[in-house]
Amino acid sequence: MVSTLPVIESGTNTSPRTNLWWRVLAGAPPLLFLAVFFAWPVAAILLRGLRPDGEWNLSAFGEVFADPTIRRVLWFTIWESIASTILCVLVALPGAALFARYRFRGKRLLWSALLVPFVLPTVVVAVSLLGVIGSGGFTGVNLSGTVWAILIAHVFFNYAVVVRTVGSTWSTIDPRLEESGRALGARPWRVFAEVTWPLIRSSVAAASSIVFLFSFTSFGIVLILGGISHRTLEVEIYDQTAKFLQLDIAAVLALLQLLVVVIILVWFGRSQRRRAVLFDQRSATETEKPAETPRQRWFIRSNLLFMSLLFGTPLVVLVVRSFSTPEGWGFGFYRALTNSRRGSTSFVPPVDAIGNSLMFASIATAIALVLGLCAAWAIVGDGSAHSDSRFSRWTDTALMIPLGTSAVTVGFGFLIVFDEPPLNLRSSLWLIPIAHAVVALPFVVRLLVPALRSIDPRLREAAATLGASPRRVWWSVEVPIVGRALAAAAGFAFAVSLGEFGATAFLARPDRPTMPIAIYRALGRPGEYNFGQAMAMSTILMLLTVVVMLVIDRFRPASVSEF
Amino acid sequence: MRRLIATGLLALAVFALSAFGSACASEKSETSSSVSPVLVNGSLPRFEESVTLRVMTHDSFAVSQSVLDEFESATNVRVELIASGDAVAMTNAAILTAGNPVADVIFGFDENLLGSVLRSDLLQPFRAERLEGVDTVFVIDDSGMATPIDHGNVCVNFDRGAFSRSGLPVPSTFDDLVDPSVKNDLVVEDPSTSTPGLAFMLATIAKFGGGDDATDGAAWLNYWKQLKANGVSVVDSWETAYYATFSGGSGKGDRPLAVSYASSPPAEVSDTTLPADQTPTGVVTQTCYRQTEFAGILRGASQPQAAAAFIEFMLGASFQADVPGQMYVYPVVTGTPLPDTFAKYTAPVDAPLVLPYSDVAANRERWISQWSALFR
Repeated sequence: MVSTLPVIESGTNTSPRTNLWWRVLAGAPPLLFLAVFFAWPVAAILLRGLRPDGEWNLSAFGEVFADPTIRRVLWFTIWESIASTILCVLVALPGAALFARYRFRGKRLLWSALLVPFVLPTVVVAVSLLGVIGSGGFTGVNLSGTVWAILIAHVFFNYAVVVRTVGSTWSTIDPRLEESGRALGARPWRVFAEVTWPLIRSSVAAASSIVFLFSFTSFGIVLILGGISHRTLEVEIYDQTAKFLQLDIAAVLALLQLLVVVIILVWFGRSQRRRAVLFDQRSATETEKPAETPRQRWFIRSNLLFMSLLFGTPLVVLVVRSFSTPEGWGFGFYRALTNSRRGSTSFVPPVDAIGNSLMFASIATAIALVLGLCAAWAIVGDGSAHSDSRFSRWTDTALMIPLGTSAVTVGFGFLIVFDEPPLNLRSSLWLIPIAHAVVALPFVVRLLVPALRSIDPRLREAAATLGASPRRVWWSVEVPIVGRALAAAAGFAFAVSLGEFGATAFLARPDRPTMPIAIYRALGRPGEYNFGQAMAMSTILMLLTVVVMLVIDRFRPASVSEF
Repeated sequence: MRRLIATGLLALAVFALSAFGSACASEKSETSSSVSPVLVNGSLPRFEESVTLRVMTHDSFAVSQSVLDEFESATNVRVELIASGDAVAMTNAAILTAGNPVADVIFGFDENLLGSVLRSDLLQPFRAERLEGVDTVFVIDDSGMATPIDHGNVCVNFDRGAFSRSGLPVPSTFDDLVDPSVKNDLVVEDPSTSTPGLAFMLATIAKFGGGDDATDGAAWLNYWKQLKANGVSVVDSWETAYYATFSGGSGKGDRPLAVSYASSPPAEVSDTTLPADQTPTGVVTQTCYRQTEFAGILRGASQPQAAAAFIEFMLGASFQADVPGQMYVYPVVTGTPLPDTFAKYTAPVDAPLVLPYSDVAANRERWISQWSALFR
């Protein structure tokens, strides 16, 4: 037992100078990584647009800002992403509470399965969703082409981000805090508002900023479900870059996107910055309990019902389609996966695609975890009040920017910067896990920072007083405590890599396709068997995700109570 | 203060790297020289030293492994395929890296991209000897840079079952598509985001003329207004149109007419004893627009001779016979035999619509923006 006091006031006094240099040292690898594999290619492609022949050409600014459709697109992108974020948080908070507080049958499985929507290729999800809420969908409600379809799809994709991020923080909060509030006569919502919310709000802010960036840069969902009248800035940038090669216009739009992303991130950062309240972390086994009252049983059931409606229906449509062959129910499409196009250069034995995906995802996860730990440590410092410096705020914001940048900007940037030795990487397989790690890094950081911040600085001090070096303190005090966040981060990093398509499509070599690439390849061809194979491959990807997440969960380091 | 210095140093490092990168990316100027013929008595040459040839393709490229092996063992050239998104993204990626290319050969740009390919000085001239066997309608690049490899037709497909159930006649002309009997029946792709969508828009322009004066009604725009009034659905991509909206094929949507390819109906046949006029889906042949896919040798290629050999190989008998089964397109070399299902189930398209590529290059942006003004 570390402390009997559940909530501890912060306040320490270590030397700020040594602290800062340690942090700059820790922050250097992730920032250098982003400088080389993100900032440099993006800067190069922007300069190619704005400074085509060594002379600045800024006429595109006037052109873009005079265009009323761009203003409309910008406005739509902003409100659509804010609405998606709010809706997603509202809908997912009860889910987070469910996982944080209750023990029920199938909990571990469901916790892992939550990430399934997150890894599925957008086109597969969109086609499945259209089978539910599209024209001819079985609910009879046709939402395709409306904003509602976009919002529902964004909730579908990002639900896991909020539930897993907030849920893992919430589960470390001692339930006795809430119980004593209730014992003192407070109503449940008041307990939530005054006890729980202050403790989880920094992880809610962390999750919301990710959901916001995903909705802000939404591409496939908007194109397929939103119809042609709804366009996001991301869609415009893609068109101007990859379709029309109007690099000057694309550069102005990309700068606009960057500006909005930075403004909103700074705003999110502010709400996160108000110091996270320190508390004594509990292990999940201590904080969860089975439902006792009818009200709690009702809470669990209605939550599960909601999840099965939101995820169950589209995913069941997908699985059902993978088994309904022209010859009736059966494994026909799965068998076809292994033999139908054998002998073609585009043929991918499913085992190979799974192998490629697992290999890229493992490398990407390793890169993201190592760099993410460095970055999180640099951001949090020793956890004392003065650690919350300008340096940590800017590091934090800088790491998030890649999530708010168009994959095509980065992809085309790669093409023009990595074309000379020693970094002639344009057709190197390394670019794939590197690109995935760039996307995964913010997830890792967002999960680790709140966990590190909530560690009582006195623990570190105690270790330091006993003669432990900073590295030793980190290894024997912080790593075990943030173990749960680390496992969640590894899960997300792995899932990000398994599902990444936008950048991979530019970088993949045909002989090394990932599962999403193989799915797109099958969907790009006519014929019932090609469609069926795409559904079968997607079902395999779903299963693989659940299995991998269960395995990662097993590797969860020793929890706090054992520490 | 120290914090500021540290932050400043990092910012400087990022900026310096970026500037260095942009300096590296500056273009090399090279004069493009013609690549000399490579065939030896009509056969592929054999290279003394083994070389690696990089081939840039779109992501729907496919060839039988055995056919590719034939090329590799005959020439001693190892082929490395590089996929770069769809045909449009691939072409633009190639234009962006013109002069210092990712690959030696590029395959898969069509005549709608040919204008920008030629304008951006992407290729080296090369005239394939096997071009002799190609039907002259496909040989449209006079500058001798782009070699036609395969062709297809973009046409309206119909769901035979849906029309026989409703008893209504299957449309056969553009005018039939605006008939009230097919109200809310057609799905097309957005020409600004989809290749078949662009082809179908160009088909209407080839049919009605690409008049500019939108205010008093250019005929093609008038036609689109009628389509709109008749409830046409516009979606982003072929996948959404064909798999989520079209009721033919895999039958997951509710619209019996969709813009797809002339080669789609053969792909829907699983029972090859079916009579040719009973395929689950069919083609409205009068709406067909021709698409030709080209290959070329990239300027700055490190293996121009092997690249030339690869282009000759793509015009050779085995590759040409392989394209229908692998890529759902048709060979350009006259007399190439078609696989049975394609020979039996492809509706003959006698006179596909087509526009000169220079017209498309000159007007495409205006057409797309006029179309967009109508639908957005």
